[in-house]
Amino acid sequence: MSDAIEAEQSFVDKFPQEARVVRAALLSSFFALTLGAVFGIVQTLHRTDVARIIPSTDYYTVLTAHGVFMVISFTIFFLVGLFTWAVTRSLDRPLIDIRITWTWYAIMAVGMTMTGVSILAGFFPALDMSADVLFTFYAPLQAHPMFYAGLAVFIVGSWIAGADWFRTFLAWKRDHPDERIPLQTFMVLTTMAMWYIASSAVAASVLIFLLPWSLGFIDQVNPTLTRTLFWFFGHPVVYFWLMPAYLLWYTVLPKIAGGRLFSDPLARVVFVLFLLLSTPVGIHHQYLDPGIAEGFKFISMTNTMFLLLPSLLTAFTVVASVEYGARQRGGTGLLGWLTDLPWRDPAFTGMMLAGLMFAAGGFSGMVNAGMNINYMIHNTIWVPGHFHLTVGTAVALTFMAATYWIWPQISNKPIYSRSIGLFQVVVWFIGMALMSNAMHAQGIMGVPRRTAEPEYSGFEYATMFGGFEELNVQIAIGGTLLFVSTVLFIGNLVLTMGNPKVSGLAESLPPALSGPNDAPKVLDSLRLWVGIALTLVVLAYALPLAAIINRGGLLGPGVGTYPAWIAPTLDALAAAVTPLVGAIGKVAASLVGVIL
Amino acid sequence: MPQNEAESGVTETIGPDEEFDPIGTLTLIGIYFVILVLAWVYIYYIEFLGRDLVVVG
Amino acid sequence: MHIHAYEKLWLAASILLILLLIGSVTYGAVGPGVAMVTDSEQPIDAQALDEDDRFSEPRVEQVGDNEYAAYVVAYQFGFEPTPIVVPENSTVTFYITSRDVIHGFEVAGTNANTMVVPGEVSQITVETDDRQEYGLICNEYCGAGHHVMEGKVNVVSQAEFDDRNDGGDDA
Repeated sequence: MSDAIEAEQSFVDKFPQEARVVRAALLSSFFALTLGAVFGIVQTLHRTDVARIIPSTDYYTVLTAHGVFMVISFTIFFLVGLFTWAVTRSLDRPLIDIRITWTWYAIMAVGMTMTGVSILAGFFPALDMSADVLFTFYAPLQAHPMFYAGLAVFIVGSWIAGADWFRTFLAWKRDHPDERIPLQTFMVLTTMAMWYIASSAVAASVLIFLLPWSLGFIDQVNPTLTRTLFWFFGHPVVYFWLMPAYLLWYTVLPKIAGGRLFSDPLARVVFVLFLLLSTPVGIHHQYLDPGIAEGFKFISMTNTMFLLLPSLLTAFTVVASVEYGARQRGGTGLLGWLTDLPWRDPAFTGMMLAGLMFAAGGFSGMVNAGMNINYMIHNTIWVPGHFHLTVGTAVALTFMAATYWIWPQISNKPIYSRSIGLFQVVVWFIGMALMSNAMHAQGIMGVPRRTAEPEYSGFEYATMFGGFEELNVQIAIGGTLLFVSTVLFIGNLVLTMGNPKVSGLAESLPPALSGPNDAPKVLDSLRLWVGIALTLVVLAYALPLAAIINRGGLLGPGVGTYPAWIAPTLDALAAAVTPLVGAIGKVAASLVGVIL
Repeated sequence: MPQNEAESGVTETIGPDEEFDPIGTLTLIGIYFVILVLAWVYIYYIEFLGRDLVVVG
Repeated sequence: MHIHAYEKLWLAASILLILLLIGSVTYGAVGPGVAMVTDSEQPIDAQALDEDDRFSEPRVEQVGDNEYAAYVVAYQFGFEPTPIVVPENSTVTFYITSRDVIHGFEVAGTNANTMVVPGEVSQITVETDDRQEYGLICNEYCGAGHHVMEGKVNVVSQAEFDDRNDGGDDA
C-alpha cells in the first residue's frame, strides 16, 4: 500500500459521485466478463470434443453470447468507467451534471439487457425469440428485432457519454484557455471522436436496414452492403478496445514501474494516428468478398499496414518508460534492469504480460492484413487465435491488471489478495499462450472458426505444427486455465468489495519526461484531425459503397430472409443432436434470472 | 507497494537524451524486429506461396 | 518536437517493415500472380438460380484446352456438386454462389478460399497439381447446421475425369 501523506485524498474522496459511476460501469463490465467466461468454457470444451453437454445447434447461441458479452459489453463498459475516471482526474474537476452521467449509463445498461435477453432466449425454443447471428450478425441471417434495437440503444448511450466528457472538457477549457489539453483527457477525446465516426455506419445499418427488416417493414436487405457497413465499424471498434489499454500503458504503467512516461507528445501523435487511420481500413475484413473490387481491397491493405505504425511506436515509448523506472530503482546493464521492476505487483505484471502478448498478436495481425495471404487463413481458427491475443489479452488482461491498481482509489478498499491477483494474471498468460498458439497452428491446417464441430466425416486434416487432436487438447487446457483465471479475478474483486474502507490509498501520476509543452500546438487541434479523418473515410469508402449499391441495389439483389431461430429440419443432423438439454437449460435459466 | 521518489509534483521536464538513453528498449525492440522479419518471410514466401491451389485469376 | 534518436531509428525501422509488408503483398500479386476475389461476375437473383444455366445444374465442364469451369452452389447445409471432381494439372475456374445465406468455400489446407454471398457469384481460378482429395469446408457461419456442411474437391487423373463425364451421371 501507499506510504503517501495521510491527508492526501483518494479519487473517491475528491469525487465521490464520479467514483460511484466508475464502480457501476466496471461492475457491469465484469458481470459481462463472467457471463462471457461461462460461455467461453462451454465453447472450448465443446469444440475440442472434451465435453459436449449441449446440442451442437445451441453452440451458436453460446458463441453469439460469448462474442457480444465479451467484445461489446465487457470492453465498452470498462471503457466508459475508465474514461470517466480519466477525464475527472486529469481535469481535476467533477463532470458537468452527474444526472446526465447516470442517464447514459442507464441507457447503455438497458440496451445491453435488451440484446442480451434476445440472445439468451435462444436457449428456450418456447420463447420464439433468439439471435443466433454471432457478433457480426451478417444478413440474410436474421435476429429478433430486440437484438438490433438493444445494440442501437447501447451505442446511443455511448455517444451521450462522449458528449458528457466533451462538455466537461469545454467547461475546463473556458477556465484554462492557454493550457494544453491534459494527456488523459486528450486520449479520451480523440478516442471518442474516432468512435463517433466509426459507429455511425453500423448504427445506420441497424436503424435503416436491419431493424426495419427484422420487424417486417422491408422485405430484404443487401448482404454485401450491410456487411460493409458493419466492417466500417468493425475494424475501428478494435481500437475502441485498445485505446483505453494504451491510455493505461502510457499514463499508469510508467508510474507503477517507478518511472515516468518517456514522451507525452509521442503519445498524442499515436492517438491522432488512430483517429485518422482506424476507420478507412475496414475492407480488409472483406478481402474475399465477391462484391468488392480488388482495387478497393488494395487501398485498404496499404492503409492497414500504415496503421501498424502507432502500435509499433507505442511499443517503444511504453518500454522506454518502464526502462526509465527500472533504472531509477537502480537497474543497470543492457537488459539486467528488467529484474529491477515490481514483478510482485499484479497490476504491473499483468500489464507487462499483456504487452508482451500483444507483440505476438501484432504479427498474426500483419498476416491477416496481407491481402493475398488472407487466402490461407480467412475464417480459419487462426483468426480467433489472433484476436484472443489482442482483445483477449492486450485489452482484457490490461483491464484486469488496471483494476488492481484503480479499484482501491475509487472505493477506499484495498485489494483482498495481491498474491491471488498475481497468480491470476500469470495463469491468464499461460492459458492464453497455450490456447492461442494451438489455434494459430490449427488455422494453418485449415481448421475453420465459428463451428461447433471442426471434425468432418469426409476428410482428415494434414498434420502440421502438431496433429489436430493434439492441438485440440491444448486449446481445451488453455481455455480451462483462462476460465480459472477469470474466476479468481472476479472472486478477488468480490472479496475486495467486502473489505472495510481505509485511508491512504491515493496514488498520483507523475509528469512525463518530455511533457505536453514539448508537443506542437497543432496536435491539440481536434477539429483539424477530425476533418482529416472524415476526409480519409470518404476517400476509402465513398466509391466502394457507391459501387455496392449500384451493383445490388440499396435493398439487395434477390435474396431471401433467414431467421436464425427457426431451425431448419434437422433430419440429417439427428446424430449430432444430444438429449442433454436439461443441464444447459438450468444454467441459462439462472443467468436469465440474474439479468431480468 | 513501493513508492518512487520521482513523484512529488515536479513540473520540470528532463530532456531524455541528456540523462536517459533507452538502450535496453532499443535492444529488446531490435530483437522483436528481427523475429518479425524472419517470421514474415517464412509465413509469406514459404508457407503461403508454397501451398496448393494458389488463386491466379 | 523532441524525439529521442533511438525512437527516430525505430520509426525508420517501422516504416521499412511496413514497406516490406506492402512490397511482399505486391510481389505476390505481380510475381506468382495471386489475384483477389473481385466483382467480375454480374449479380444474380439467389431465389431464381434455376433460371441461370450455370447454377440450375451445378457441374464441372471443359471450356478450353486443359481449362475447366466448376459451377458450384452452396446451400444450407451442403455443396452441389459433391464431390467436385476436376482433372490434375489443369486450370480450373470455380464459380460459386449461394441459394440462401452467406457461406464460405474453403478447400482445406490450400489457398482456395472465398466468401459465397447470395446475389453474387465468386470466381476464383486455380491450377491443380497431382491427384489428391481435398476436404471442402463451409467456413462462414450459416445457421444451425453449419458444422455438418462439407464437401469434397477431388483432383483425379484425366482418364478418370473423362470417364465420369462421358459415362453419364455426374456427381
